[in-house]
Amino acid sequence: MFAQLLFGNLTLDAIPFHSAIIMGAGFFMVLVAATAVFTITYYRKWSYIWHEWICSVDHKKIGIMYLMLSGLMLLRGFSDAVLMRSQQAIAAGNNLGYLPPEHYDQIFSAHGVIMIFFVAMPMMFALLNIAVPLQIGARDVAYPYLNSVSFWLTFVGAMLCNASLVIGDFAKTGWLAYPPLSELYYSPGVGVDYFIWSLQISGVGTLLAGINFIATIIKMRCKGMTLMRMPVFVWSALCSMILVALAFPVLTVTLALLFLDRMFGMHFFTDFAGGNVMMYINLIWVWGHPEVYILILPAFGVFSEVVATFSQKTLFGYTTMVWAIAIITFLSFIVWLHHFFTMGAGADVNTFFGIATMVIAIPTGVKVFNWLFTMYQGRIILATPMLWVTAFFTTFAIGGMTGVMMAVPPVDFQVHNSLFLVAHFHNVIIGGVLFGYFAGVIFWFPKAFGFRLDEKWGKWAFVFWVVGFYVAFMPLYVLGLNGFMRRVNHYTDTMYQPYFIVAAIGAAFIMIGIFLQIGQVIVSIKNRHKLRDATGDPWNGRTLEWSVASPAPFYNFAELPIVDSRDYFWEFKQKHLAEGLVHPKTMEFHPIHMPRNTSAGFIIAMFAGIAGFALIWHMWIPGIIGVTGMIVTMIARTFATDIDYYVDTETVRKTELAHLKEMINA
Amino acid sequence: MIARMRRVFINSHGCSSALKLLARCLLLLAAGITMLSMTGCHGHLVGILNPKGLVAYEERRLFFDTLALMLIVVLPVIVMSFTFVYHYQVSHRVKEYKPNWSHSIFLESLWWGIPCVIILVLAILTWKKTYELDPYKQIAGSGQPPLLIQVIALPWKWLFIYPQQDIAAVNYLVLPKDQQVEFWITADNVPMSAFFIPQLGSQIYTMAGMRSRLHLLASQTGNYDGMNTQYNGAGFSDMHFPVQVVTADDMQKWIEQTRKSSIRLTPDVYNELLKPSIGDQPKYFSGVAADLFKNVIDVYMNSLGTAHPRNIDGKFIQSKE
Repeated sequence: MFAQLLFGNLTLDAIPFHSAIIMGAGFFMVLVAATAVFTITYYRKWSYIWHEWICSVDHKKIGIMYLMLSGLMLLRGFSDAVLMRSQQAIAAGNNLGYLPPEHYDQIFSAHGVIMIFFVAMPMMFALLNIAVPLQIGARDVAYPYLNSVSFWLTFVGAMLCNASLVIGDFAKTGWLAYPPLSELYYSPGVGVDYFIWSLQISGVGTLLAGINFIATIIKMRCKGMTLMRMPVFVWSALCSMILVALAFPVLTVTLALLFLDRMFGMHFFTDFAGGNVMMYINLIWVWGHPEVYILILPAFGVFSEVVATFSQKTLFGYTTMVWAIAIITFLSFIVWLHHFFTMGAGADVNTFFGIATMVIAIPTGVKVFNWLFTMYQGRIILATPMLWVTAFFTTFAIGGMTGVMMAVPPVDFQVHNSLFLVAHFHNVIIGGVLFGYFAGVIFWFPKAFGFRLDEKWGKWAFVFWVVGFYVAFMPLYVLGLNGFMRRVNHYTDTMYQPYFIVAAIGAAFIMIGIFLQIGQVIVSIKNRHKLRDATGDPWNGRTLEWSVASPAPFYNFAELPIVDSRDYFWEFKQKHLAEGLVHPKTMEFHPIHMPRNTSAGFIIAMFAGIAGFALIWHMWIPGIIGVTGMIVTMIARTFATDIDYYVDTETVRKTELAHLKEMINA
Repeated sequence: MIARMRRVFINSHGCSSALKLLARCLLLLAAGITMLSMTGCHGHLVGILNPKGLVAYEERRLFFDTLALMLIVVLPVIVMSFTFVYHYQVSHRVKEYKPNWSHSIFLESLWWGIPCVIILVLAILTWKKTYELDPYKQIAGSGQPPLLIQVIALPWKWLFIYPQQDIAAVNYLVLPKDQQVEFWITADNVPMSAFFIPQLGSQIYTMAGMRSRLHLLASQTGNYDGMNTQYNGAGFSDMHFPVQVVTADDMQKWIEQTRKSSIRLTPDVYNELLKPSIGDQPKYFSGVAADLFKNVIDVYMNSLGTAHPRNIDGKFIQSKE
């Protein structure tokens, strides 16, 4: 009885000891974690890690932690991709490949979930955290403690998803867990519960972060920065976060209803007893379609910053850019049905959603032309961020084109669910989102870490990534047009095999690209003194974040800036370069009001993780501990009074003068 | 704030060589894929590119029309992106440099206007074709009344019932050439699936407790591949069925032959089919239990309580391969 309350359905059988691949991967994960723990203990850094990182409410540090989470999960998600590509390259004719459906089906489900929720989303929040407060001249986000809660909830969600690899299994339902397949009748195991709770927990984190950034952008801009003077990246972040605030509650409710179906035998989405399967599919895409715009808008923002900076030219058509983002934000909410034209909704409904989808191409096209004409008659510096942008244009144009083609319902009747679709969304998500984020990460890396990334390694990584992308995904278009569906485990007609072999070669190229990126980081850390960004402005930047030291001091700005134009820092440089430097002695410093670090965010998230794990396995005692712990920590935190402090003038003076000195010596 | 001196650290020599290498690789790749498509090409195209039915033919045409319309914008974008990046590199020391040029009403109206016109054309085309190719609608201009076939997706196999002919088949579909076929489609004891014969036309979801419909018209005899496109569990990859399109005479012969089959599709036989299985060989039935299709839908429509109508234990039997 007690054991049932404590362990629920969890037994040792849940760990697949017989599966070499899974145990190998699990062993590897444990090994990495153990190495990290050992290293930290060896160098006696636990106190440092706890106080300076885990409890940190500094947006830049939280951004860095998001980035690390994203990088780690990219390795996991990409391993899944390699497994799928190799399985499909082998499993032709009578060969069933090496992954039986029960593994393979988990792999493609996990691949989608991980890439969207635990690679793309964290990477987006990494960029937002690192850049947005600095770009609007703020000292932190509006709610620094909430920011810490958001990150740790995302982290816990990712860890739950990883735990499913070793303890139990993951959903065998595809990344959106369509019912009735995801209902208890067809999926009795814990897989779908892992899906629900890792998404629920990280989803709440995302929603909180969204609200946080909306408040930050609306309320925390420095003097003179009107809405129409904000950098386009901030605009894209604002619109993306508005989408988060509107769309993520839908996801939370949808998953909660699915949970009620599975846990308490309700019938929201079952295929019998009055449940409505299509309701789930509508709801999940009411969240799911805005979700892809949540991801792509900040990438558009990055392109706007990078193109202007590296063309050494003002961004073309700022006002149209902003309006285009706003229109995309609105339209992204009225197109969700294009994900299931084949439901049989009839021509009226399909026509409406088809045309609404195409209309999005107009503002998107406008943005592309604006970027192109920002480069026109500029002076383009082909540093790695700009190379990624260059690759983006072609890749995204192709992806956008196939997207509009699938928006025509009769065309979709042919290519829906096929590899054509798979090629399309990888085309826009890798070519648009990921390339954009890579550009952003390289662009703002010096601001977060204080040194640039190695250019040579970066360029090689770029070449392998781009070539790998085309080799891996162009054959998928051909396969899709030849009637090959997604999520297929094996096929009898061997004529498909050559294409899959080519695609697998492409994946190998991407793998080399990823290794080169890891190498790039290692080499850059090794050469950090040589690559040191002493000026704080390594790219001849245009916006406020480049006006402070690299890495940005924890208080960001010694004195809050006052701006009177869009590219304020750029114009400031143009004006004052002639006059020479401001003399340090004339500078005045004031005490700075800052939030104190807190462990509450980390503790709440850990309790949320315990609660989530308990709900997956129906463990009552840990469940109660988790939920109570969360609530108690939240309430206890509201009684905390020592939540802020003043940085004294001397500390500010020392930090600023040290930066000045380094800059002059550079 | 402090003004500061800076230098552009990047040496732009290495860059254009990286770009050139990239361009060369991509060109090679494009050539490779084209070659690959050419070699295995003829007789081997089994999708939209090689249509054998009216609907699929229309859909292919629409596919290429849309492609052409989109290329009007996409090609210039690709060309401009490469030429601009190449031409205006710092190292090329182009004279024109307008660091503050950021607005042009003429240009901006141009690239709001042209996409608007293209999307308008595309929208009209979409509107027209979506109604014309609505799978629920009868295909216009075909004189004969449509042949009705009821399709039930079962755990990883397909059941086709010809109610007017009183015959049925598992994993085997015979269609008449040049006669319109109306499919009524549902699913039983299997998650949502989708019914699709790529070379004949549209796909449509199959859902338990619901009837979806589809009209197809085959215009050439031959042997085509039919399949499920919606992932629905372990047996998904094997949920294919052969489709024979035959002349009216051959169709009649096949019906006569099937009627001689000793097995009737009684409720008991049907219940056997409800058990999950993978890769079933075709089976043929003479005589079908009355209103089978309607009853299958009703089972779900009228179900109450917590137990799945197809299994009182509430357990879907997972089959191991």
